[in-house]
Amino acid sequence: MNIRIHNVSVEYSRPILDNIDLEIEAGEFVSIVGQTGCGKSTLLRLILGEEQPTSGQVIVGGKPRRQPDPTCGYVPQKYSLFPDRTVLGNVMFGLKGGRGCRDKAMHFLRRTGLQDSDAGKYPHQLSGGMQQRVAIAQALVLNPPVLLMDEAFSALDPGTRKGMQGLMRDLWRESGTTIVFVTHNTREAVCLGTRVIALAKDSSERGSSIALDISAPHLDFDSDEAELRSVICEVESATTNSQLTQHVFL
Amino acid sequence: MSFLRIHAQPSRAAYFVLSWFLFAVGVISYFYVAIERHRENPDDRVMPTVSQMVQSFRDAASKPAEEDDAASSSMLWKDSIATGRRFLISVALLVPAVLLGLHMAMFPYVGALFLRFFQFFDKIVALSLLPIIFIAFGIDELSKIMLIVIGVAPTIVLDTFNLSKSVPRETIVKAFTLGAGDVGIAYRVVFKQILPRVLNSIRLNLKAVMLFLFAGEMIASTDGLAYRIALLRRHMGMDTIIPYVLWVALLLFLVDWGMNLLNRTLHPWFQEK
Repeated sequence: MNIRIHNVSVEYSRPILDNIDLEIEAGEFVSIVGQTGCGKSTLLRLILGEEQPTSGQVIVGGKPRRQPDPTCGYVPQKYSLFPDRTVLGNVMFGLKGGRGCRDKAMHFLRRTGLQDSDAGKYPHQLSGGMQQRVAIAQALVLNPPVLLMDEAFSALDPGTRKGMQGLMRDLWRESGTTIVFVTHNTREAVCLGTRVIALAKDSSERGSSIALDISAPHLDFDSDEAELRSVICEVESATTNSQLTQHVFL
Repeated sequence: MSFLRIHAQPSRAAYFVLSWFLFAVGVISYFYVAIERHRENPDDRVMPTVSQMVQSFRDAASKPAEEDDAASSSMLWKDSIATGRRFLISVALLVPAVLLGLHMAMFPYVGALFLRFFQFFDKIVALSLLPIIFIAFGIDELSKIMLIVIGVAPTIVLDTFNLSKSVPRETIVKAFTLGAGDVGIAYRVVFKQILPRVLNSIRLNLKAVMLFLFAGEMIASTDGLAYRIALLRRHMGMDTIIPYVLWVALLLFLVDWGMNLLNRTLHPWFQEK
């Protein structure tokens, strides 16, 4: 399902996003990078329907976004799981019930790397990485046309993170879902996404706009390090292209 | 002086002895003074001895109260039932308070209607309303129940409101993306998640419930544990008052313990943070 963002601006007490124009085609894996406070999570919440733009339009699959619904799956950094449900209960939450429901949930749990013995555990009994695996299974089991991930791997240790990134790329290939992946880690953005979008602020009076939009489908974690480095440098210089982004606005 | 340090680690024996020490000191000094007083004046009524208290408690448990005919067999039983009934009705009336707090937190229009009002209501000292309640509702059962509800319900409403609000937004958004509706999210996601904390909040407020209940019973009642305590004060009936006070504490302890046990059994996933 494609995503159309037309001239979107968001303003609270200060401008956050300024005139964002973006088209994401069905089946793309888009990484959004930017510094802390640049509005990349706001952009994700607009697509999610959790927030409404001050001006402009966000259209997913031909329909404007009003509130979060099963069109867009969602994997936040934390608080994704229902603490009062077991792992299996969490994955089965969105399924309507009926035969095969349990088998389907178990299939997705196994696919995301969990053991059958984990199914009866509660989220607090799992490590952070395992919890995120469940959160991904929970979102993917409904086969959403769009999957939105907000710093989904940012709280994980490097080893776990690497495994999750590989898993995500495989799951994306299998499901063909459109993924928008927000991260502040440039290497993660470049290696995971087929397209990388960098947000940055030009001046303090205006919100962030798209500073760079490149296609990088050939790059992944096994790519040539020199080539990877040059793209990462390019993206990082785009996110820090103005002196204003150097200091944090409070 | 290593035992006064933050990192001190009392042995099991030391912990056991220290934790019971003040109980022992209290009990022993009471009976020492009581025996001394009884030696000077065998009719002393201020500090009854163990045997007097045991005797009075036995009488309370096996004989009807003076003002009653022989129809009811036990004064203690009759008082406990009367107080227990009011207590249960009051706690049951807190259920709508919990649901109101939940709805206020989940649905902005409900919150807009009730929040400010309850924040104001919560600051009114319920006991200062006592005369008004007696005038408005009379001095029978209704006024006593109303006193408790007015005293405790706003706290429960606001506490449930805060607990519901503290459920992370991500969890609610996630539920929407998994196809849940508004009512489903309020009850299946948020309410289920806060229920153990709500029960703990009610446990903490049991003390307040009892406080208002006792105030009502002492001022206007013809039965109940607090009525008995207030009545016996006129006769200096310390030999019954002290066992009654301990009996009330025991009952409240058992209710609290039972609710805690229930909470842990029903919510094995619950982690105190």
